[in-house]
Amino acid sequence: MTEHDILRIKSLEISLMTGHNILNGIDLTIRAGRIHGVIGESGAGKSMIGSAIADTLPQGLEISRGAIEFDGLTLTDMNARTRRDLLGRDIGFIPQEPMSALNPSLTIGHQVCHHLARIGLRTAKTRQERAVELFTEVGLDRPWDLLQSYPHQLSGGMLQRVLIAMAFASNPRLVIADEPTTALDVTIQKKVVELIARTRAAHNTAVLFITHDLQLAADVCDDVSVLYAGRIVETGAAERIIHAPMHPYSRCLNLATPNLSGPKAQLMILPGTMPGPVDRMQMPGCEFALRCPLAEDQCHSTRPALDGVGTEHKSACHWPERTGLITAVEAPTGTAAGRLGEKLVLRATGLGKAYRQHDWLGRVREVHALRGLDFDVREGEFVGIVGESGSGKSSLTKLIVGLEDVSTGVLELVGLDRATAPRADFFDKVQLVFQDPQSALNPRRKIGRLVTQALEGRGGAYSAATRAELVKTLLAKVMLPPEVADRFPDQLSGGQKQRVNIARALCSNPQLLIADEIVSGLDVSVQAQILELLSALRKEAAFSLLLVSHDLAVVRHVCDRTLVMCKGEIVEQGPVEEVFGNPQHPYTRDLVAAAQGPTVSSI
Amino acid sequence: MMGKMYRLPDPGLLIGGSVALLVLVCGIFAPWIAPYHPNDQELLFILAPPVWADGGSMAHPLGTDSLGRDTLSRLIYGARTAVTVAAAASFGAMLLGAFFAHLAGYFGGWVDWIISRTVEIWLSFPPVVLSMLLITGLGIGIDKVILAIVLVDWTRFCRVLRSEVQVARGQDYVAFARLIGFSHFRVIIREIFPATLPMLITLLSLQMGISVVVEAILSFVAMGVPSDVPAWGQMIADARIDMYYAPWGLALPIFAIFLTVLSFNLFGDGLRRTLDPRHTAQRSA
Ligand SMILES: Nc1ncnc2c1ncn2[C@@H]1O[C@H](COP(=O)(O)OP(=O)(O)O)[C@@H](O)[C@H]1O
Ligand code: SF4
Ligand SMILES: [Mg+2]
Repeated sequence: MTEHDILRIKSLEISLMTGHNILNGIDLTIRAGRIHGVIGESGAGKSMIGSAIADTLPQGLEISRGAIEFDGLTLTDMNARTRRDLLGRDIGFIPQEPMSALNPSLTIGHQVCHHLARIGLRTAKTRQERAVELFTEVGLDRPWDLLQSYPHQLSGGMLQRVLIAMAFASNPRLVIADEPTTALDVTIQKKVVELIARTRAAHNTAVLFITHDLQLAADVCDDVSVLYAGRIVETGAAERIIHAPMHPYSRCLNLATPNLSGPKAQLMILPGTMPGPVDRMQMPGCEFALRCPLAEDQCHSTRPALDGVGTEHKSACHWPERTGLITAVEAPTGTAAGRLGEKLVLRATGLGKAYRQHDWLGRVREVHALRGLDFDVREGEFVGIVGESGSGKSSLTKLIVGLEDVSTGVLELVGLDRATAPRADFFDKVQLVFQDPQSALNPRRKIGRLVTQALEGRGGAYSAATRAELVKTLLAKVMLPPEVADRFPDQLSGGQKQRVNIARALCSNPQLLIADEIVSGLDVSVQAQILELLSALRKEAAFSLLLVSHDLAVVRHVCDRTLVMCKGEIVEQGPVEEVFGNPQHPYTRDLVAAAQGPTVSSI
Repeated sequence: MMGKMYRLPDPGLLIGGSVALLVLVCGIFAPWIAPYHPNDQELLFILAPPVWADGGSMAHPLGTDSLGRDTLSRLIYGARTAVTVAAAASFGAMLLGAFFAHLAGYFGGWVDWIISRTVEIWLSFPPVVLSMLLITGLGIGIDKVILAIVLVDWTRFCRVLRSEVQVARGQDYVAFARLIGFSHFRVIIREIFPATLPMLITLLSLQMGISVVVEAILSFVAMGVPSDVPAWGQMIADARIDMYYAPWGLALPIFAIFLTVLSFNLFGDGLRRTLDPRHTAQRSA
């Protein structure tokens, strides 16, 4: 294959006004029709590469060295006008945050059609038809209604798809996709990946695919570059980098990802955090040295160069050949299974939920979100709930915690009937860990006051000393240092916030904990920490857990049993290994197949 | 994570704040600052020009009006009226508006429906006409002006704050507070109100500017404060007849109103920018 290079990034360096570098000597080349993945944890600088190409760098950042060439033209030397013309027509860009890319005061239709007009669609009618066609391709329902909607009326996942549709509208030669599927469900994710594959096949589009999901990168990309602390540490064919890496960091990422098949191993937990731009200045050696299991003295003093270790495979490590020495710890077998209590903490019989929707004339329409659920959860048991969005997972958790009322059937919790027992009886016994720690933690409360917030509702006098003591115990339980008690949520990292979120739910010693998608959107390494934390808490087996997740591997890693939900009904339930290893219901089979990787036919 | 960069205070906040403070000081300490009593007449000095014009004197730095009253003193006492009305009326409107906004935004449903419809109907009357109608019914006086402004402008607070409350209401930490057994009242006070406070303060300072204008309009058409209380609107009305040969009498109170409103608006805008967390939060890569 002698395809020419579409994108060539040469020793790119992006720095802050203070002179600290965000990106360092990035070299990256994408040939026409190839999908090149950029992976790494958040803060590594993945989005910066995309922003540099699309000319959307945030205020205060600038390209201090290097050049970006697109199809032989040097973007970095171009005047703003020519560059803007190129963007949107020849280069499509899908930004990470869809909300900020759309104007909140204009309809979706207005903005999409404006874009289509820019790329040369003449009449309003053709523009609308093309918009609808594009929306259908990315799996958006009721595309005609969508044209009239405003951005705030759509969910994050829908906005993401609108932007994906816009980026592919002009059949560009290069698409920059910044975490395009993070907010999407597995099934929609599959659609988007297929769309990318189709466009690539039809128009030879090259794609720069930024993601933190290794499995996805392995499935979608031809080549992958692993970014750590602003540097590419490994680059080469996707298959090799994901499955046979030659750099310790790539290997650690791989070992931190739970898998859906094979033996269950303990997830790799990287100590510490990635050094920020300021800390990096003081590091003359390998930036990964502080966390690397293989680090030796030489690593701290001299920086390894990005050298070839195979055909088109490069690694920035002094000892790439030792990578294989890093191994996972076998998970202790025969876990909590023997320690399950006899009592049921939850029993649902024929449980159903119907929402009544009123239209503006006052007519009532019933939407059945849940129908005839029968299941139970024993003491100390960890049960997973899987299913795509809209399958009723969130509605079920809302029923259990009492944010919604039961419509039909019986829901017995900790021996009490949810419908008839007073609400106050459940406050201490059933707790919820919310999905998004950003929204679940009041930004104006300090961590210490957040984790013990449950005491405030009790009226009982708790002395400041008891409360401080409890804060310490709770923080220790989730492996946070006691000094974070005096900080505000915004001063913590995403993973730390999620731990605070868990600690807070444990405050009242609940018998049943419900966790709604608590690891989605977290980095692989942070996700590993939270999952291992859950596994550790499970050994104490002081509570039962109902874990909602769209990621089957996560459920397999943490839970004993799982329920599979589809359209408001439970279609299958049983021990995780049985359900995922030998799915019976066609829907479960689809889910498992989708999770094992959408097959993208490469050329 | 990048270190927090040092930020200068917002210029609007600084400039607007200092001018607003100056007006406030004038209002509070009027009897000590003003050279004369505002209603003292000196019939020898009728329509005296300000000190920088031909024939001006230091005795009356900003001249006198057609009754021989010292313009500077009247401006200073006028500030007192303006500040009293602005502060009291804005606070009243805020209390009323914020109360209903929190009810509507938090409880939603029919509570929201009733409050929102009421606000809409209220807003369909032109505000100036509505306040004149109210004054006609209530009679004149500082307290009546304040009451009229409160009754007209609470809707402004209600409408804006209601959507702020709705945003906070949708946050998971509010749901959590309910799950651990907080009462509705407690949730509103402890979890929602702190989130709407920045917007509330901002609206308050903008409302002060609006109240100054409304008070001036009402005084101008002699529907505001009684004629023995000096007010800027009244001064403009008095100076109209002689505006061709004594333009300063008209220009100075207009300038005072302009400056005051501008300072409140600058201050409010600056506050909004400073308190907006979206503005402070710096995203990293
Ligand atoms: N407040 C509501 N009003 C009407 N329909 C709702 C409401 N909440 C959820 N639904 C419907 O219930 C179904 C299940 O939704 P949800 O529980 O959110 O699923 P999931 O958590 O799997 O995304 C969806 O079809 C959704 O449209
Ligand atoms: S150079 Fe040393 S510290 Fe860096 S990745 Fe290789 S072994 Fe680890
Ligand atoms: Mg959901």
